[in-house]
Amino acid sequence: MELLCCEVDPVRRAVRDQNLLQDDRVLQNLLTIEERYLPQCSYFKCVQKDIQPYMRRMVATWMLEVCEEQKCEEEVFPLAMNYLDRFLAGVPTPKSHLQLLGAVCMFLASKLKETIPLTAEKLCIYTDNSIKPQELLEWELVVLGKLKWNLAAVTPHDFIEHILRKLPQQREKLSLIRKHAQTFIALCATDFKFAMYPPSMIATGSVGAAICGLQQDEEVSSLTCDALTELLAKITNTDVDCLKACQEQIEAVLLNSLQQYRQDQRDGSKSEDELDQASTPTDVRDIDL
Amino acid sequence: WGKNRRQQDNSPNPSPLPSHQICCSHPGFFCSTGTMSEQQGDGRQIPCSRKACRRLFGPVDSEQLQRDCDALMAGCIQEARERWNFDFVTETPLEGDFAWERVRGLGLPKLYLPRDDLGGGKRPSTSSALLQGTEQEDHVDLSLSCTLLPRSGERPEGSPGGPGTSQGRKRRQTSMTDFYHSKRRLIFSKRKP
Repeated sequence: MELLCCEVDPVRRAVRDQNLLQDDRVLQNLLTIEERYLPQCSYFKCVQKDIQPYMRRMVATWMLEVCEEQKCEEEVFPLAMNYLDRFLAGVPTPKSHLQLLGAVCMFLASKLKETIPLTAEKLCIYTDNSIKPQELLEWELVVLGKLKWNLAAVTPHDFIEHILRKLPQQREKLSLIRKHAQTFIALCATDFKFAMYPPSMIATGSVGAAICGLQQDEEVSSLTCDALTELLAKITNTDVDCLKACQEQIEAVLLNSLQQYRQDQRDGSKSEDELDQASTPTDVRDIDL
Repeated sequence: WGKNRRQQDNSPNPSPLPSHQICCSHPGFFCSTGTMSEQQGDGRQIPCSRKACRRLFGPVDSEQLQRDCDALMAGCIQEARERWNFDFVTETPLEGDFAWERVRGLGLPKLYLPRDDLGGGKRPSTSSALLQGTEQEDHVDLSLSCTLLPRSGERPEGSPGGPGTSQGRKRRQTSMTDFYHSKRRLIFSKRKP
Protein backbone atom coordinates (compact mmCIF):
# COMPACT_ATOMS: atom_id res chain seq x y z
CA MET A 1 0.00 0.00 0.00
CA GLU A 2 1.33 3.37 -0.88
CA LEU A 3 0.70 6.27 1.36
CA LEU A 4 0.59 9.65 -0.15
CA CYS A 5 0.84 12.66 2.05
CA CYS A 6 -0.76 15.68 0.51
CA GLU A 7 -0.90 18.58 2.81
CA VAL A 8 -3.83 20.60 1.68
CA ASP A 9 -4.83 23.97 2.95
CA PRO A 10 -8.12 23.23 4.71
CA VAL A 11 -9.45 26.71 4.08
CA ARG A 12 -10.83 27.09 0.61
CA ARG A 13 -11.24 30.57 -0.72
CA ALA A 14 -13.34 31.93 -3.47
CA VAL A 15 -11.44 33.77 -6.15
CA ARG A 16 -11.87 37.51 -6.13
CA ASP A 17 -15.05 38.37 -7.92
CA GLN A 18 -14.06 40.62 -10.78
CA ASN A 19 -17.67 41.57 -11.37
CA LEU A 20 -17.76 43.14 -7.94
CA LEU A 21 -14.29 44.65 -8.08
CA GLN A 22 -14.70 46.21 -11.50
CA ASP A 23 -18.06 47.77 -10.80
CA ASP A 24 -17.69 51.27 -9.42
CA ARG A 25 -21.11 51.10 -7.80
CA VAL A 26 -19.70 48.68 -5.25
CA LEU A 27 -17.03 51.15 -4.20
CA GLN A 28 -19.57 53.98 -4.15
CA ASN A 29 -21.95 51.97 -1.98
CA LEU A 30 -19.16 51.11 0.43
CA LEU A 31 -18.29 54.79 0.69
CA THR A 32 -21.92 55.65 1.29
CA ILE A 33 -22.55 53.18 4.08
CA GLU A 34 -19.19 53.10 5.87
CA GLU A 35 -20.01 55.89 8.31
CA ARG A 36 -22.90 53.92 9.73
CA TYR A 37 -20.51 51.54 11.40
CA LEU A 38 -18.27 54.06 13.13
CA PRO A 39 -18.44 54.28 16.92
CA GLN A 40 -20.85 57.01 17.92
CA CYS A 41 -18.51 59.02 20.11
CA SER A 42 -15.03 59.29 21.48
CA TYR A 43 -15.95 57.11 24.40
CA PHE A 44 -13.02 57.77 26.68
CA LYS A 45 -14.33 61.28 27.11
CA CYS A 46 -18.03 60.73 27.30
CA VAL A 47 -18.87 57.16 28.30
CA GLN A 48 -16.12 55.23 30.02
CA LYS A 49 -15.02 56.01 33.54
CA ASP A 50 -12.81 53.03 34.31
CA ILE A 51 -11.29 52.27 30.94
CA GLN A 52 -8.31 54.32 29.77
CA PRO A 53 -6.84 54.58 26.28
CA TYR A 54 -3.82 52.50 27.23
CA MET A 55 -6.14 49.65 28.25
CA ARG A 56 -7.67 49.64 24.80
CA ARG A 57 -4.17 49.35 23.40
CA MET A 58 -3.44 46.44 25.74
CA VAL A 59 -6.53 44.51 24.80
CA ALA A 60 -6.03 45.32 21.10
CA THR A 61 -2.44 44.09 21.19
CA TRP A 62 -3.58 40.89 22.84
CA MET A 63 -6.35 40.41 20.28
CA LEU A 64 -3.90 40.93 17.43
CA GLU A 65 -1.57 38.34 18.94
CA VAL A 66 -4.39 35.83 19.23
CA CYS A 67 -5.53 36.48 15.67
CA GLU A 68 -1.98 36.09 14.39
CA GLU A 69 -1.33 32.96 16.35
CA GLN A 70 -4.58 31.44 15.19
CA LYS A 71 -3.88 32.59 11.65
CA CYS A 72 -7.20 34.32 11.36
CA GLU A 73 -8.24 36.04 8.18
CA GLU A 74 -6.91 39.55 7.97
CA GLU A 75 -10.30 41.18 8.42
CA VAL A 76 -11.09 39.47 11.69
CA PHE A 77 -8.97 41.69 13.90
CA PRO A 78 -10.08 45.09 12.54
CA LEU A 79 -13.69 43.93 12.51
CA ALA A 80 -13.44 42.74 16.11
CA MET A 81 -12.00 46.12 17.09
CA ASN A 82 -14.90 47.81 15.34
CA TYR A 83 -17.33 45.78 17.46
CA LEU A 84 -15.38 46.58 20.61
CA ASP A 85 -15.33 50.31 19.90
CA ARG A 86 -19.03 50.40 19.04
CA PHE A 87 -19.89 48.55 22.22
CA LEU A 88 -17.72 50.76 24.39
CA ALA A 89 -19.20 53.86 22.78
CA GLY A 90 -22.53 52.86 24.27
CA VAL A 91 -21.95 50.87 27.42
CA PRO A 92 -19.91 52.01 30.43
CA THR A 93 -17.72 49.03 31.21
CA PRO A 94 -15.36 48.20 34.07
CA LYS A 95 -11.85 47.34 32.99
CA SER A 96 -12.16 43.85 34.43
CA HIS A 97 -14.66 43.06 31.65
CA LEU A 98 -12.50 44.39 28.87
CA GLN A 99 -10.63 41.23 27.99
CA LEU A 100 -13.85 39.24 27.95
CA LEU A 101 -15.30 41.80 25.57
CA GLY A 102 -12.26 41.55 23.34
CA ALA A 103 -12.67 37.78 23.24
CA VAL A 104 -16.38 38.07 22.45
CA CYS A 105 -15.65 40.50 19.62
CA MET A 106 -13.05 38.15 18.12
CA PHE A 107 -15.51 35.29 18.48
CA LEU A 108 -18.16 37.21 16.53
CA ALA A 109 -15.83 38.61 13.88
CA SER A 110 -14.32 35.19 13.32
CA LYS A 111 -17.74 33.63 12.83
CA LEU A 112 -18.67 36.31 10.37
CA LYS A 113 -15.51 36.12 8.28
CA GLU A 114 -14.07 32.64 8.54
CA THR A 115 -14.99 29.24 7.28
CA ILE A 116 -13.51 27.65 10.40
CA PRO A 117 -14.14 30.12 13.20
CA LEU A 118 -12.39 30.39 16.54
CA THR A 119 -14.01 28.37 19.31
CA ALA A 120 -15.18 29.74 22.60
CA GLU A 121 -12.97 27.29 24.46
CA LYS A 122 -9.86 28.38 22.63
CA LEU A 123 -10.56 32.04 23.28
CA CYS A 124 -11.05 31.34 26.97
CA ILE A 125 -7.68 29.63 27.12
CA TYR A 126 -6.16 32.75 25.63
CA THR A 127 -7.52 34.72 28.56
CA ASP A 128 -5.55 32.35 30.78
CA ASN A 129 -8.90 30.83 31.71
CA SER A 130 -9.97 33.97 33.49
CA ILE A 131 -13.33 33.63 31.76
CA LYS A 132 -15.47 30.59 31.11
CA PRO A 133 -16.93 29.59 27.76
CA GLN A 134 -20.41 29.96 29.20
CA GLU A 135 -19.66 33.58 30.13
CA LEU A 136 -18.29 34.24 26.69
CA LEU A 137 -21.47 32.91 25.12
CA GLU A 138 -23.72 34.91 27.39
CA TRP A 139 -21.82 38.08 26.68
CA GLU A 140 -21.94 37.29 23.01
CA LEU A 141 -25.68 37.88 23.14
CA VAL A 142 -25.21 41.09 25.10
CA VAL A 143 -22.75 42.44 22.54
CA LEU A 144 -24.99 41.37 19.68
CA GLY A 145 -27.91 43.15 21.28
CA LYS A 146 -25.95 46.33 21.81
CA LEU A 147 -24.64 46.24 18.24
CA LYS A 148 -28.23 45.63 17.12
CA TRP A 149 -27.01 42.49 15.36
CA ASN A 150 -25.39 44.80 12.87
CA LEU A 151 -22.20 42.86 12.32
CA ALA A 152 -21.42 43.29 8.65
CA ALA A 153 -19.45 46.46 9.26
CA VAL A 154 -17.35 47.99 6.53
CA THR A 155 -13.64 47.64 7.28
CA PRO A 156 -10.60 49.11 5.55
CA HIS A 157 -9.99 45.72 3.97
CA ASP A 158 -13.14 46.09 1.92
CA PHE A 159 -11.49 48.93 0.01
CA ILE A 160 -8.05 47.50 -0.62
CA GLU A 161 -8.77 45.67 -3.85
CA HIS A 162 -10.85 48.52 -5.19
CA ILE A 163 -7.97 50.90 -4.57
CA LEU A 164 -5.20 48.65 -5.87
CA ARG A 165 -7.10 48.03 -9.05
CA LYS A 166 -7.00 51.70 -9.93
CA LEU A 167 -3.30 52.23 -9.40
CA PRO A 168 -0.84 52.09 -12.29
CA GLN A 169 1.04 49.23 -10.70
CA GLN A 170 3.14 46.37 -11.88
CA ARG A 171 1.26 43.21 -11.17
CA GLU A 172 4.12 41.42 -9.47
CA LYS A 173 4.42 44.13 -6.82
CA LEU A 174 0.75 44.02 -5.93
CA SER A 175 0.89 41.21 -3.42
CA LEU A 176 3.73 42.86 -1.52
CA ILE A 177 1.87 46.17 -1.45
CA ARG A 178 -1.29 44.41 -0.33
CA LYS A 179 0.54 42.62 2.44
CA HIS A 180 2.10 45.80 3.76
CA ALA A 181 -1.20 47.69 3.52
CA GLN A 182 -2.85 44.94 5.56
CA THR A 183 -0.17 45.32 8.20
CA PHE A 184 -0.81 49.04 8.39
CA ILE A 185 -4.55 48.44 8.73
CA ALA A 186 -3.98 46.10 11.65
CA LEU A 187 -1.69 48.65 13.28
CA CYS A 188 -4.31 51.35 12.87
CA ALA A 189 -6.88 49.16 14.58
CA THR A 190 -4.67 48.96 17.67
CA ASP A 191 -4.58 52.75 17.99
CA PHE A 192 -7.67 54.58 19.18
CA LYS A 193 -6.99 57.71 17.19
CA PHE A 194 -8.01 55.84 14.04
CA ALA A 195 -11.20 54.40 15.52
CA MET A 196 -13.34 57.29 14.32
CA TYR A 197 -11.74 57.59 10.88
CA PRO A 198 -13.73 56.28 7.95
CA PRO A 199 -12.40 52.89 6.88
CA SER A 200 -11.87 54.18 3.34
CA MET A 201 -9.44 56.77 4.64
CA ILE A 202 -7.50 54.20 6.63
CA ALA A 203 -7.40 51.93 3.59
CA THR A 204 -6.21 54.71 1.31
CA GLY A 205 -3.65 55.92 3.83
CA SER A 206 -2.40 52.38 4.36
CA VAL A 207 -1.94 51.75 0.65
CA GLY A 208 -0.15 55.09 0.35
CA ALA A 209 2.10 54.32 3.29
CA ALA A 210 2.81 50.85 1.93
CA ILE A 211 3.82 52.08 -1.50
CA CYS A 212 5.85 55.03 -0.23
CA GLY A 213 7.61 52.77 2.26
CA LEU A 214 8.46 50.15 -0.33
CA GLN A 215 9.47 52.82 -2.81
CA GLN A 216 12.53 53.62 -0.72
CA ASP A 217 14.10 50.27 -1.49
CA GLU A 218 12.84 49.44 -4.90
CA GLU A 219 10.77 50.82 -7.69
CA VAL A 220 7.23 49.68 -7.00
CA SER A 221 5.34 52.57 -8.48
CA SER A 222 5.87 54.91 -11.35
CA LEU A 223 4.28 57.71 -9.37
CA THR A 224 5.93 60.04 -6.90
CA CYS A 225 4.51 59.92 -3.40
CA ASP A 226 2.68 63.23 -3.87
CA ALA A 227 1.16 62.18 -7.15
CA LEU A 228 0.17 58.91 -5.58
CA THR A 229 -1.56 60.62 -2.67
CA GLU A 230 -3.55 62.76 -5.09
CA LEU A 231 -4.62 59.76 -7.09
CA LEU A 232 -5.56 57.84 -3.93
CA ALA A 233 -7.58 60.77 -2.63
CA LYS A 234 -9.51 60.86 -5.87
CA ILE A 235 -10.29 57.14 -5.74
CA THR A 236 -12.03 57.30 -2.36
CA ASN A 237 -13.23 60.94 -2.54
CA THR A 238 -11.01 61.87 0.36
CA ASP A 239 -9.61 65.33 0.95
CA VAL A 240 -5.93 65.33 -0.06
CA ASP A 241 -4.72 67.09 3.08
CA CYS A 242 -6.73 64.78 5.34
CA LEU A 243 -5.30 61.81 3.53
CA LYS A 244 -1.74 63.14 3.85
CA ALA A 245 -2.24 63.69 7.56
CA CYS A 246 -3.72 60.21 7.93
CA GLN A 247 -0.83 58.62 6.07
CA GLU A 248 1.68 60.44 8.25
CA GLN A 249 -0.11 59.26 11.36
CA ILE A 250 -0.05 55.72 10.07
CA GLU A 251 3.68 55.92 9.43
CA ALA A 252 4.20 57.35 12.90
CA VAL A 253 2.28 54.45 14.44
CA LEU A 254 4.48 52.00 12.59
CA LEU A 255 7.62 53.72 13.84
CA ASN A 256 6.26 53.65 17.35
CA SER A 257 5.44 50.00 17.31
CA LEU A 258 8.79 49.13 15.76
CA GLN A 259 10.53 51.00 18.55
CA GLN A 260 8.31 49.29 21.05
CA TYR A 261 9.16 45.96 19.52
CA ARG A 262 12.89 46.61 19.63
CA GLN A 263 12.52 47.71 23.20
CA ASP A 264 10.76 44.47 24.03
CA GLN A 265 13.51 42.56 22.32
CA ARG A 266 16.18 44.33 24.30
CA ASP A 267 14.31 43.63 27.48
CA GLY A 268 14.53 40.00 26.57
CA SER A 269 10.85 39.48 27.08
CA LYS A 270 10.65 37.20 24.10
CA SER A 271 12.44 33.92 23.76
CA GLU A 272 13.87 32.67 20.50
CA ASP A 273 11.03 30.21 20.08
CA GLU A 274 8.41 32.83 20.22
CA LEU A 275 10.25 34.94 17.72
CA ASP A 276 10.23 32.11 15.26
CA GLN A 277 6.54 31.54 15.55
CA ALA A 278 5.13 34.68 14.10
CA SER A 279 5.08 34.55 10.36
CA THR A 280 1.91 36.25 9.26
CA PRO A 281 2.12 39.46 7.32
CA THR A 282 0.51 41.36 10.15
CA ASP A 283 3.83 41.11 11.84
CA VAL A 284 5.52 44.47 12.10
CA ARG A 285 8.87 42.76 11.80
CA ASP A 286 8.15 42.10 8.16
CA ILE A 287 8.44 45.75 7.42
CA ASP A 288 11.61 47.74 7.23
CA LEU A 289 11.53 51.44 6.98
CA TRP B 1 -3.66 35.06 0.36
CA GLY B 2 -3.28 31.37 0.72
CA LYS B 3 -1.30 31.51 3.90
CA ASN B 4 -4.02 31.03 6.46
CA ARG B 5 -4.75 27.64 7.72
CA ARG B 6 -6.28 26.36 10.84
CA GLN B 7 -6.92 22.88 12.01
CA GLN B 8 -10.39 21.50 11.79
CA ASP B 9 -10.80 21.53 15.48
CA ASN B 10 -14.04 23.38 15.62
CA SER B 11 -17.42 22.40 16.76
CA PRO B 12 -19.60 21.43 13.85
CA ASN B 13 -21.71 24.52 14.15
CA PRO B 14 -23.75 24.83 11.01
CA SER B 15 -25.22 28.15 11.91
CA PRO B 16 -23.61 31.49 11.26
CA LEU B 17 -25.69 32.84 14.09
CA PRO B 18 -24.48 32.50 17.62
CA SER B 19 -26.26 29.82 19.48
CA HIS B 20 -24.94 28.76 22.79
CA GLN B 21 -26.68 25.47 22.66
CA ILE B 22 -24.62 24.53 19.70
CA CYS B 23 -21.34 26.21 20.47
CA CYS B 24 -20.75 25.66 24.11
CA SER B 25 -20.47 21.95 24.17
CA HIS B 26 -17.47 21.19 22.11
CA PRO B 27 -16.16 17.93 23.47
CA GLY B 28 -12.95 17.33 21.64
CA PHE B 29 -10.98 20.40 22.33
CA PHE B 30 -7.46 19.26 22.63
CA CYS B 31 -6.21 21.83 25.06
CA SER B 32 -8.74 21.45 27.81
CA THR B 33 -6.35 19.71 30.13
CA GLY B 34 -4.14 22.74 30.21
CA THR B 35 -1.27 21.53 28.11
CA MET B 36 -0.29 24.40 25.92
CA SER B 37 2.01 22.35 23.80
CA GLU B 38 1.59 20.96 20.37
CA GLN B 39 -0.30 17.81 19.80
CA GLN B 40 0.93 14.69 18.11
CA GLY B 41 3.62 16.15 16.01
CA ASP B 42 1.55 18.69 14.19
CA GLY B 43 3.28 21.99 14.62
CA ARG B 44 0.30 23.99 13.52
CA GLN B 45 -1.84 22.80 16.37
CA ILE B 46 -0.31 25.01 18.97
CA PRO B 47 -3.46 26.46 20.38
CA CYS B 48 -1.86 28.94 22.61
CA SER B 49 1.62 30.15 23.29
CA ARG B 50 2.51 31.06 26.80
CA LYS B 51 2.96 34.65 25.78
CA ALA B 52 -0.47 35.19 24.23
CA CYS B 53 -2.29 33.30 26.98
CA ARG B 54 -2.54 35.91 29.62
CA ARG B 55 -5.04 37.79 31.69
CA LEU B 56 -4.76 41.50 31.10
CA PHE B 57 -6.56 43.21 33.95
CA GLY B 58 -6.24 41.00 36.95
CA PRO B 59 -8.89 38.73 38.39
CA VAL B 60 -12.35 38.66 36.85
CA ASP B 61 -15.27 38.72 39.24
CA SER B 62 -17.66 36.10 37.89
CA GLU B 63 -20.53 37.31 39.98
CA GLN B 64 -20.21 40.87 38.82
CA LEU B 65 -19.88 39.60 35.28
CA GLN B 66 -23.13 37.71 35.69
CA ARG B 67 -24.93 40.67 37.25
CA ASP B 68 -23.81 43.04 34.51
CA CYS B 69 -24.69 40.49 31.86
CA ASP B 70 -28.19 40.03 33.27
CA ALA B 71 -28.75 43.77 33.55
CA LEU B 72 -27.59 44.44 30.00
CA MET B 73 -29.57 41.52 28.65
CA ALA B 74 -32.66 42.75 30.43
CA GLY B 75 -32.11 46.12 28.79
CA CYS B 76 -31.78 44.52 25.37
CA ILE B 77 -34.88 42.43 25.86
CA GLN B 78 -36.85 45.43 27.06
CA GLU B 79 -35.67 47.46 24.08
CA ALA B 80 -36.65 44.70 21.68
CA ARG B 81 -39.96 44.30 23.48
CA GLU B 82 -40.78 47.96 23.00
CA ARG B 83 -39.63 48.12 19.45
CA TRP B 84 -41.51 45.05 18.31
CA ASN B 85 -44.35 44.99 20.81
CA PHE B 86 -43.50 41.39 21.41
CA ASP B 87 -42.40 39.69 24.59
CA PHE B 88 -39.45 37.63 23.45
CA VAL B 89 -39.16 35.83 26.77
CA THR B 90 -42.63 34.38 26.86
CA GLU B 91 -43.07 34.72 23.10
CA THR B 92 -46.33 36.58 23.33
CA PRO B 93 -47.47 39.47 21.17
CA LEU B 94 -48.24 42.76 22.94
CA GLU B 95 -50.18 45.87 22.05
CA GLY B 96 -48.37 48.14 19.62
CA ASP B 97 -47.50 49.02 16.05
CA PHE B 98 -47.18 45.46 14.90
CA ALA B 99 -49.88 42.89 14.59
CA TRP B 100 -48.41 39.45 15.19
CA GLU B 101 -49.96 36.34 13.79
CA ARG B 102 -49.03 32.75 13.40
CA VAL B 103 -48.24 31.63 9.91
CA ARG B 104 -47.91 28.22 8.41
CA GLY B 105 -45.72 26.90 5.70
CA LEU B 106 -42.79 29.31 5.75
CA GLY B 107 -40.60 26.39 4.88
CA LEU B 108 -38.17 27.21 7.63
CA PRO B 109 -35.07 25.07 7.64
CA LYS B 110 -34.95 22.56 10.45
CA LEU B 111 -32.20 24.58 12.03
CA TYR B 112 -34.59 27.33 13.05
CA LEU B 113 -37.11 25.02 14.64
CA PRO B 114 -36.96 24.42 18.38
CA ARG B 115 -34.65 21.72 19.53
CA ASP B 116 -35.41 20.99 23.12
CA ASP B 117 -32.76 18.36 23.39
CA LEU B 118 -30.05 20.96 23.12
CA GLY B 119 -31.27 23.15 25.93
CA GLY B 120 -29.52 23.46 29.21
CA GLY B 121 -28.37 27.05 29.31
CA LYS B 122 -30.00 29.53 31.60
CA ARG B 123 -31.28 31.65 28.78
CA PRO B 124 -34.87 31.11 27.85
CA SER B 125 -35.28 29.11 24.72
CA THR B 126 -36.30 31.54 22.07
CA SER B 127 -38.37 29.24 20.05
CA SER B 128 -40.94 27.54 22.20
CA ALA B 129 -43.69 29.56 20.63
CA LEU B 130 -42.65 28.72 17.13
CA LEU B 131 -44.44 25.46 17.38
CA GLN B 132 -48.04 25.11 18.23
CA GLY B 133 -50.20 22.11 18.72
CA THR B 134 -48.77 18.72 19.24
CA GLU B 135 -47.30 17.96 15.88
CA GLN B 136 -43.67 18.41 16.71
CA GLU B 137 -42.42 16.74 13.61
CA ASP B 138 -39.48 17.74 11.52
CA HIS B 139 -41.32 19.62 8.88
CA VAL B 140 -43.98 21.36 10.86
CA ASP B 141 -42.93 24.86 10.18
CA LEU B 142 -45.14 27.24 11.99
CA SER B 143 -43.88 30.62 12.85
CA LEU B 144 -44.91 34.09 13.75
CA SER B 145 -45.17 36.88 11.29
CA CYS B 146 -45.68 40.51 12.06
CA THR B 147 -47.34 43.31 10.16
CA LEU B 148 -46.73 46.99 10.58
CA LEU B 149 -50.00 48.73 11.26
CA PRO B 150 -50.66 52.24 9.99
CA ARG B 151 -49.37 54.61 12.63
CA SER B 152 -52.50 56.71 12.97
CA GLY B 153 -54.88 53.80 12.62
CA GLU B 154 -56.74 51.98 15.30
CA ARG B 155 -55.48 48.65 16.42
CA PRO B 156 -57.41 45.68 15.18
CA GLU B 157 -59.19 43.99 18.00
CA GLY B 158 -58.69 40.34 17.38
CA SER B 159 -56.08 38.46 19.27
CA PRO B 160 -53.04 38.06 17.08
CA GLY B 161 -52.52 34.56 18.33
CA GLY B 162 -54.35 32.34 15.92
CA PRO B 163 -53.86 31.77 12.23
CA GLY B 164 -57.32 32.89 11.32
CA THR B 165 -57.36 36.29 12.92
CA SER B 166 -56.21 38.53 10.11
CA GLN B 167 -58.78 41.20 9.58
CA GLY B 168 -59.36 44.87 9.00
CA ARG B 169 -56.70 46.95 7.27
CA LYS B 170 -53.93 44.68 8.29
CA ARG B 171 -51.76 43.60 5.43
CA ARG B 172 -51.25 39.88 5.37
CA GLN B 173 -47.71 38.75 5.22
CA THR B 174 -46.62 35.33 4.40
CA SER B 175 -42.97 35.50 3.49
CA MET B 176 -39.78 36.42 5.21
CA THR B 177 -39.03 39.15 2.69
CA ASP B 178 -42.26 40.88 3.62
CA PHE B 179 -41.21 40.64 7.21
CA TYR B 180 -37.88 42.31 6.56
CA HIS B 181 -39.56 44.96 4.49
CA SER B 182 -41.76 46.03 7.34
CA LYS B 183 -38.83 45.95 9.72
CA ARG B 184 -36.88 48.30 7.53
CA ARG B 185 -39.71 50.76 7.30
CA LEU B 186 -40.19 50.78 11.01
CA ILE B 187 -36.56 51.53 11.73
CA PHE B 188 -36.39 54.30 9.18
CA SER B 189 -39.54 55.92 10.41
CA LYS B 190 -38.44 55.86 14.00
CA ARG B 191 -34.77 56.61 13.63
CA LYS B 192 -34.79 59.80 11.65
CA PRO B 193 -32.91 62.33 13.76
